[in-house]
Order: sequence, then structure tokens, then C-alpha cells
Amino acid sequence: MKILIFLALLCYLFACSSGETTIHTNNWAVLVCTSRFWFNYRHMANTLSLYRTVKRLGIPDERIILMLADDMACNARNEYPAQVFNNENHRLNLYGDNVEVDYRGYEVTVENFLRVLTGRHENAVPRSKRLLSDEGSHILLYMTGHGGDEFLKFQDAEELQSHDLADAVKQMKEKRRFKELLIMVDTCQAATLFNQLQSPGVLAIGSSLKGENSYSHHLDSDVGVSVVDRFTFYTLAFFERLNIYDNASLSSLFSSYDPRLLMSTAYYRTDLYQPHLEKVPVTNFFGSVMETIHTDSTYKAFSGRISDKINSDTLFSQRSQHGNSETLDNVEASNEIHELKTEKKQCPYTQMRRDLHERLEKLADVDTVVNLGIVTMLLLVAASTCLLT
Amino acid sequence: MARFSPGSLPVLVLFFSRIFLVPIALGSADVEEFSEELLLKPLSDRKVLAHFHFESQAPPSNSHGRHHHLFPKAISQLVQKFRVKEMELSFTQGRWNYERWGGFDPLSSMNTKPVGVELWAMFDVPLSEVDASWKNLTHSLSGLFCASINFLESSTSYASPTWGFRPNSDKLRYGSLPCEAVCTENLTPWLKLLPCRDKDGISALMDRPSIYRGFYHSQRLHLFTVDSGQEGLDSGIVLEQTLTVVLRPDSGSSKKQIQPSWTLSSLFGRKIFGSCVLAKSSNVYLQLEGLPVHELKSVDQELETNGLWKNAGFELSIEPDRVLQETNSFLFEFDIGEYNDSKPFDLGLTWKLPLKWSCGQAPLHASRFLMGSGNERGAIAISLKLTETYEKFSGGDLGDGPCTLQANIFQVFPWYIKVYYHTLQVFMDQQQRTVSEVVKNITVSPSTDKTSPGVMEMMLELPCRMKSAALSLEFDKGFLHIDEYPPDANQGFDIPSALISFPNHHARLVFHEETSNSPLLSKLKEKSPVRSYTEILLVPLTTPDFSMPYNVITITCTVFALYFGSLLNVLRRRVGEEERLLKSKGNKQGKLLQLLSRISAKIRGRPVESSSSEASSSVMSSNFLLKVMLVAGIAATWQYFSTYM
Repeated sequence: MKILIFLALLCYLFACSSGETTIHTNNWAVLVCTSRFWFNYRHMANTLSLYRTVKRLGIPDERIILMLADDMACNARNEYPAQVFNNENHRLNLYGDNVEVDYRGYEVTVENFLRVLTGRHENAVPRSKRLLSDEGSHILLYMTGHGGDEFLKFQDAEELQSHDLADAVKQMKEKRRFKELLIMVDTCQAATLFNQLQSPGVLAIGSSLKGENSYSHHLDSDVGVSVVDRFTFYTLAFFERLNIYDNASLSSLFSSYDPRLLMSTAYYRTDLYQPHLEKVPVTNFFGSVMETIHTDSTYKAFSGRISDKINSDTLFSQRSQHGNSETLDNVEASNEIHELKTEKKQCPYTQMRRDLHERLEKLADVDTVVNLGIVTMLLLVAASTCLLT
Repeated sequence: MARFSPGSLPVLVLFFSRIFLVPIALGSADVEEFSEELLLKPLSDRKVLAHFHFESQAPPSNSHGRHHHLFPKAISQLVQKFRVKEMELSFTQGRWNYERWGGFDPLSSMNTKPVGVELWAMFDVPLSEVDASWKNLTHSLSGLFCASINFLESSTSYASPTWGFRPNSDKLRYGSLPCEAVCTENLTPWLKLLPCRDKDGISALMDRPSIYRGFYHSQRLHLFTVDSGQEGLDSGIVLEQTLTVVLRPDSGSSKKQIQPSWTLSSLFGRKIFGSCVLAKSSNVYLQLEGLPVHELKSVDQELETNGLWKNAGFELSIEPDRVLQETNSFLFEFDIGEYNDSKPFDLGLTWKLPLKWSCGQAPLHASRFLMGSGNERGAIAISLKLTETYEKFSGGDLGDGPCTLQANIFQVFPWYIKVYYHTLQVFMDQQQRTVSEVVKNITVSPSTDKTSPGVMEMMLELPCRMKSAALSLEFDKGFLHIDEYPPDANQGFDIPSALISFPNHHARLVFHEETSNSPLLSKLKEKSPVRSYTEILLVPLTTPDFSMPYNVITITCTVFALYFGSLLNVLRRRVGEEERLLKSKGNKQGKLLQLLSRISAKIRGRPVESSSSEASSSVMSSNFLLKVMLVAGIAATWQYFSTYM
């Protein structure tokens, strides 16, 4: 029976690593401005505004891939060197002292974009230019530029088609490069870009429907060009009110778009995304809010790992349990993580694990169990080596 | 370190020598050091030059466990991984004005760089691995400095010069990207290599908008390894980071003759709040040229030094700690270690009397331009003009033998500029000379299409008496594959700057007294050959133009429509029937017309003119038959050709 328990635990561990119940561990953002030339200043301002927002909400620079197709800040036409503004009040310099542009100028091509998404790089490409996401990543993909029916133009020379995008996303899913992906596109007829998406876990927001244009918000007469697009402007207006601890949900972001102000109809594709949008906070994608779970026994677990394998296994599985919608305070307050977690999660293995745990609790002599466990492990190893040789 | 043979000496001695002799042998260089310095210099055209110099040193250590306190880890890893012996990377915007800002001082010959990115590196690897190391290095640097330096990895964009770029350039690779944009995202990682970043010390002055508002800014990173000469020890690294900016102070005074007065806070918008605590030395220097040369050996030295910085001509807001006299300039030294938050360092220079001076010039002023028109061929010309200062200088010592002036030209051509080197023409004072008369040495590696660029290294020997010289080379413009065009191909393609160096002329500052061992000053005291870069050129190439196919399509469609339209007209039109129809119409109308004419005739009193509408139907029918036969003939020949061809 003890062997059975052990085997069940092993099975459980393997099952957990198989990806069904992966937890959200990190956040990435890929922000792309695809337009070249000075009159497309607003597209760079859009991207930099989003860059600032996600940085403010906690995604570090090494997890942001920023692609800017042209240099606006130090452009000879820029009256304000080394500064980019997204509002005519010039209160906020988006091109502050700490901008890390990963791909810029001629490097912003469809090929490089797809390489970043799918992770197929040359060996020499440095880590800072790679999207090193994993199966626990939430990725925000923001793109802005000029587009049309099922395509987005890159640098006025190439096109990214909706099939390319869908294909890349599919590859990403198969390579387990994301858990959830939010694609946000601010371009004319943005909704058509999502037509071919099939992969589960993908959520898409576009600034306009098929046949609609996306318009710029206002012109800055000092800079001489339009500085921000309407869709991005109202997205930013939504985020400016938020801080990292806010619980505003994605549906509240979606409902904040007013077609009369946007002069286009924002489009959401949610059929590939299972969770209810009311329950998903925006910081799941636009920020990096990692839950910290305080356990008193962490160090004990690590020190006693060899002698007490079963216990450490249970601890590991406890820590890998993770609810999305709790706040930090909630977690800190609860010392009984076990109970909280088991209530929240409907993992089929949880029930079994709890049963096992209860049984283990009831056992009087834990030491014998452990010793027997080690003995069985040795036997198993011996048997497997015999079989192999 | 001396090598002891273990056989002759006890092992213990060896052990002790390892412990004690190493620090003695290396002296003070066994700790990591960092120093920050700033040199300010008013330029003769009412601008101000600011030259930041940061130097970090890592001592030799064993290769396994290198732990850095001050030295940037990213750089030492780079050096170790790619076995870089020496490397220089520069990001530049704007062009150095050699005529007005100087061309014969160590600052201009070491720190002026061509527009965009320039990178060269020497490697300590076998010759076969140099290209691979270069490729990896470019990728790493592009990740480190947020720039597209990785475009230099392709073999079409880098060259391996032999002697024209540097005297001993073995395993050296050189590449430049003239059209690379330079902005704050390049400066920020560069600043992150400094121990105090831009938070404290001199680097706190770097307010991005004021730096990038300048006329010229060149951010440079130069590193070289110092061999320890001992076994088991890795070589030490010296990293120099310099930023050269040319700024224009806001001249509040309307007086045009007087140089504008400025303070640090008016130039940069910031002040220095003390030194970076990790720096060994942090000094600010102010270099003033064109002052009347004083003899410091005066009776009252105190008064004399006082008069140097506060006199009728100008005034400094802060008393310098030292005054150094150079051959034709003064250096005021300020130690900023004693300043702090409550007492910030804000050096100001107030001019009271107009002062004019001219800066040192390189022997020749070089400029380069394109000739020819059209998208097929053109020519590049490099013109060299003797500068005024050198004219005077060479005029003085004409006595001893034939005076010559040596100049080296180093130029990389992209492969799509197919240079015909045999077309090299040399003109001297507007008169053509034979090439062998002037060109003493020339090394050319011709470009290979889509594989490697062309490199030209040329050594010129010009007589001092000449006023100007010009070289011209013809080239053909190549065709690029449609994938190879950049998105803004219509802008044109850049040809990187040519480097003109004068190996027999050295620029250096010569001080009359001993200077402190500051890295900046010792760098300026070093002998460095005078070099200058030419402008970059913009060559328009044939670009894919899709209006052409559209034009062709439109014209062909028009031709086809005309042909088939007329054919159809001829085949389907029944001319005889139409005429009959017309006739019947004419008859119908004719009755009314006849009536009208009769009435009018009655009114006029004249007989009615009989309208003779005799249609020559026989002629028309023969005409019609002719046409039908023509069309049938065309159809038959068409049929014949289409079946037998």
C-alpha cells in the first residue's frame, strides 16, 4: 500500500509537469511599431506609451521586446531632441533615460518579428533580443502601424498577413511558449488580422472592425504631426488610473472603449480564451504581479529533502498550486494555505493528494514510512538497472 | 615575474614568490580603478566642447575566478569570451568641423569619429576563427548597446584592413554603419557600465535633451587588454569611455564680438553634486586657447596665478586648484571631490573682452564628393587642400631637401559600388600627374558581388609646395536583389567615410610642468597620429519602381484595346445596312427639309435646288469587299503563325 502511495505521488508529479495545470509564472511583452518615417510619429508614441505602462505595472526591461521601426527621438525633424511625447501638453517624456530598444530601424522586419515570436534565432543572437517565455508565461503582443484587410504593413515595404500571425501563434502554442496571449492591435481594420487565429489561450483586441479606419487622436502643432492614435489614447487613459495593485478586469478595459470617441468599433475576439473576462485582472497581461506565498517551512523542506522525500514532494506540489484571482493580502493573511488552495482549485489530483496527506497525518510513525520509502526506491532503482542491463 | 625552476629552488620559495612577488611586480595596478574626468574647451566659433573621459581598469587575475568590484562585468565577459585584444566602438551624430573645432589636437584626432556606428576589433584567436569571433561580437554588442551593430556580421559590411587603418593591424576587423541612428537608448547602456551610472559624479551632468541638442556628439568605448606577462594570469583590461559633445551656450548678451559666457548648469541644465565616491580621481579641466602666454616665473606667483583665472579678459566663477601651462593653451584643473549636495560644482566662464583665436589644423583638409549623373556610373573624388597653418609651417623649413607630406587614405566601398581602380587619376594644383608620382603604395582588395566589400589603402606622398590635390576613381553602380533593398531605398545608399591619416604628424599636448597622473591628461600627452574622417556620401541607386510595370500594363492594354476594338468594328459592322438606314432616315428628314426649303425658296423667290444624294453604292461595296479581304488575310496569317510557330 505504501508503494502504491509512492507510485501515485510519482504519477502526480509527472502529470503536473505535463502542462495541463501550468501556472502563470511570468509576464512578457512584445511591443511593435511597424511604421517608418517621421509622419508616423504617433505609432512610435503609441508603442512607447504602452512600453511605459507595462514597465510601470511591473514588467522588467529584460522581459520586454521593443521594436521601433524608426528613430523619432533623435530625428533631425524633432524639435525636442531625445524626447517623444504622446500628448500636446508635453507633460510626459516617453523617451526617458531608461529606454531599451531591442530591435530598431531596418531590423524591424516581418522575418525578425516572426523569429522573435517563434524563438527561431541564430545562435549568436543575444538573450536581450529573444522572447524567452515558457509555458507559464502571459504575453502581451502590441502592434501598431498601417494595415488593411488581413494584413499589417511593416516599414511600408513588407506585410504581415493574418495567416502568418496565426501560424506563428500556433507554433508558439505547440512549443509551449505561452500560457495566455493577448494580442492588441491598433491599425485600420485591425479585427481582420485575427481571423485566422485558432490556438487556445489567445485573446485579441483590435481597434477597428473590417472596413473601418483607426484615427489619430490629436495633432501637436509644436511637433508638427499627430502624436497618438485614438484607440491607444483611450487605452492609456484607462491604465493611467491604475496601479500595480488594482484589480480592474479585462472586461472593464473592453467596456471602457466608446465607439463614438474611438470613431471606430473596438473588436474583441474571446472565443479562444476560456476564463471569464470579468475575473481576469488587466495586470495579468499589462503588468507583472507575481504572487508571493509565504510558507514557514521552505527552508526546512529544502534541508530535509533527501531524508524526507515524500514531505518535500507534497510541499513542492503545494507551492505549485496557484490561484489567479487572489490578492496579496489574502495570501499573507492565510496561514492555512492548504485549505485555501484546495478550495480554490478543482485539480483532479488535488482531492487525491489531500486524501494522501490526511492519511500521512494519521500515521503515527512517519520515520518508518520514510525508511520504507527509501528502501522501495532503492529496490526500484535496482530493478530498473537490472532491466536496462 | 621571474620564473623559478622548481628543481633548483625549494618549493617553498616558489610558493612565497607567488604570494608576495605578484603584488610587488604589478605595483598599484592590482586593484580595480575608476576615474572620471571632464574637459571643457570653448571653441572659436562660439561653441563649447565638453569631453567626458571615464576609465576603468581591471588588473590581471586568474581566469577562473574573476570577481569585479568596479569594472563592468558585461565587458570583461565579452573580452574573455571572444578573446578581444583591442576594440573600439563609437556612436556619432553630427560631423566634426575640422576647420573650426581643430584638427591637430589629440582630442580631434582620437575622438572624432564618422557618423553612425564604427567598430573595429583585434582578436587573440587563430586566423581561421577571427570572422566567427567578429560575428559573435557584433551580435553581443548589438544586444548590449541597443543598436543594429549585428548588421556588421555579414561579410559584405566589414573589412580586414592591412596597414591603412592602423600600423599593426593583424587579425583586425573593421566595419561601420553610416546610417545608424544614435539616441538615448545607446547612451543609457553605456552609462550603465560606469560604477555610479548617471546618478552621481561627473556623469550626473548628462541630461539627455541637452546632450542630443548639441551639434556633435560622439560616444566612444575603447578597450584593450594589458598582458601581465605571467603564466596562469589572465590579462588585465583597460576600458576608456569617452563622450565628446559640442554645445552652443545660450548667448544672452547681444554683443557679437564677445564669446558667449556660460556655466555648467546653462550648458547641461544640471550641476555636479560632488564626485562619484568609487572614483579614484574626479577632475574637471577647462582648456583655454589663445590666451597671451604668461611667464609664471614671476615675483609674486600668487598674484600671477590669480590673474590667470580672474583678469580683464575673462573670469572663472571658481578658483582652479591648479593651472597647467601648455604650449599654446592653459588648463585649469578643478578637483570636484570637495563639493557636495549643499555646495554643488557649477563652473562658469564669463568673457569680458572679445578674444579671437584659431585652432590647430591638420596639414590637409580633406573632402570627398560624388561626380557624374544617372543611375549607371559615377566617380568619387577626394580633394585635399593644404591648410593655412601648415602652409606657413612648411614655408619655414624649405631649406633642407625635397619636403614631402605623407598621407594615408583608407576607404571601404560597399560591393554595389564597383570601383575601377585603374581609373585612378591624380591632379595636383589642377594639373594631372601620373599615379606613380604621388601614390607610393596602394593596396586594393576588390569587392566581390554580395560577398565582400572593396578596400582601398593608399599612401600618398605630396610635395609641400602644392596647394591642393585631388584623386578620382570611377565606379559602376550595381544592382541589388529585390530583397536587399532597405525600406527607404529611395533615400540612397551611404558610402562610409574615408579615413585620412598623417603618419608623420603627431598631435599631443606638451605641458611645461609635471602633471598629475590623470588618465585623461596622460592620454592627451600621448603621441597620436593626426587623422581625419571625410563626409559620408549618399549614392542614389536604381530602386525598384512599381510604377513602371503599371505603365507597361496600361500601355499594352491600350494597344490591345485599340487593335481588337477596330478589328471587331470591321468584322461586325454592316456598312451597307447602315447607309441604307441613314438614307431612309435622310429621306424621312428630307421631306421636312424639302418642305422647309420650298417655303424658304418661295419666300426668297428662287427655284428649289434639287438635293443630289446619290450614294455611290458600287464604290462602297468594293471598298467593303477590300476590307473583308484584308481582315480575312490577317486572320489567315494569324492562324498560320499560331499553328506553325
